[in-house]
Amino acid sequence: MSKCPYHDPFKEKRTKGPILTTEFDGDPVAMILGLKDVRKATRDHQSFSSNAPFRVPIPREDELRSVRQFPIESDPPEHTEYRQIVEPIFNRPNHPEYQILIEDLINKLVDGCKQTDSFEAVNEFALPLQSHALTHLLNVPASEAETWLKWGVHVLHDEGKPSKGGDMEDYCKKALLRCVDWGDDNFFTILNRAKFQGRSLTEDEKLGFANLAFAGGRDTVINTICVILAHLAQNHDDLLRLRNEPSLINCAGEEFIRFATPLTHIGRKCPVDTEVHGVTVKSGHLISLAWASANFDDTIFTEPERIQIDRKPNPHVAFGNGPHNCLGAPHARLIVRTLLKVISEQTNELTLISQQPKIEKTSGYERVNGFENLYLSFHR
Amino acid sequence: MPKVTFITEDKNEIVAEDAEGTLMEIARDNNVDGILGACGGCCSCGTCHVRVHPEWLEKTGRATESEQDLIDLEDGTDERSRLSCQIEMTDELDGLIVEVAPF
Repeated sequence: MSKCPYHDPFKEKRTKGPILTTEFDGDPVAMILGLKDVRKATRDHQSFSSNAPFRVPIPREDELRSVRQFPIESDPPEHTEYRQIVEPIFNRPNHPEYQILIEDLINKLVDGCKQTDSFEAVNEFALPLQSHALTHLLNVPASEAETWLKWGVHVLHDEGKPSKGGDMEDYCKKALLRCVDWGDDNFFTILNRAKFQGRSLTEDEKLGFANLAFAGGRDTVINTICVILAHLAQNHDDLLRLRNEPSLINCAGEEFIRFATPLTHIGRKCPVDTEVHGVTVKSGHLISLAWASANFDDTIFTEPERIQIDRKPNPHVAFGNGPHNCLGAPHARLIVRTLLKVISEQTNELTLISQQPKIEKTSGYERVNGFENLYLSFHR
Repeated sequence: MPKVTFITEDKNEIVAEDAEGTLMEIARDNNVDGILGACGGCCSCGTCHVRVHPEWLEKTGRATESEQDLIDLEDGTDERSRLSCQIEMTDELDGLIVEVAPF
């Protein structure tokens, strides 16, 4: 059994039924818990709509940002066209030359951490890795990451700290102008050039794309990186196995992503009163696609609370499923796989010094999701 | 060396000569539309779903149990469905034809 503090808070709830009725933002929310039910719901946008500005994330974000996020907060067919605008950017990680950039970045970060006796992985490793990797993805100067680092682990709501959402929106407004100096092929110039239904994107649409690009793959990637480091620091047998069997890296990556499931769930709005597995969801209310429950569904995954780096099949939904499948998945997968490659090839010692898990507390469940801090050493 | 033909959803035929590796890898190397292989061959994502031409089913074989578990979760599958990451190209499969399934 992993010594990682993660566990499945939905285990008992799944035995009681397919839905957990709970409450967010003062409204009832029906959480769909089982993997098959969640997957099915992701493909039914007519019953479960993403055309719900500020309400696709749960809790809602209308006090944290001023723009609707694109393409996530829209339904097909508009969603399909919105998504096609940015898909080429988010598929860059599939190119070999891009993969070299990420490996160089991770090598440098690991080398830096090796120069110190110990390091705090959340802020001194994972956050810089995520921010600098994003400069490659968006194809903007590396120096931009220095600004993004100041936004913290979760730009919109870093627990206990003021939201940096306003700073991020101001930055994006300026970036849409500054980007002319960054070449023709960066994220912001592509938004400036893009057409939707034959017209240019509005300023709010461009800012909505940018908002998702900065907020969406931030704490999620950081938490996953930290889960990997924490596990390998406490399970040297897995570290050795990856070194001896590098062909396992892809499967191990999928397993860590399943286990971390850094986005607990996501919302969909019912446009009309809808019967959802015996629960009536009123028009305008939300259901939740509970990725973190589905990924521990023991009717699908054997011993779901144990990390098995050779797990196969592994039909997790940590990146969602269906048409809204995570745009950043290729990037996240590349970061995870490259991290596993570098760490397993280059480190003999990785030791946990201390960890303080981050707890997500709601009225319906409490879940460990990431770390407040995670102290590690490459030496002891 | 063996040859494989991918028929894409819009009926384009892409022929890969001297094909080596898994069908998913061959498809990705040849930019076959509709084959992503996002998970890298771990039976995790289902984005490399193909339907094997009926005449070739005996040689490729049917989906393995773990592969079938994932196929069962996908839409639009049938008895010819395979995950192309689970089919290793061999000389015996020279001339293989598969259809790329929509996802």
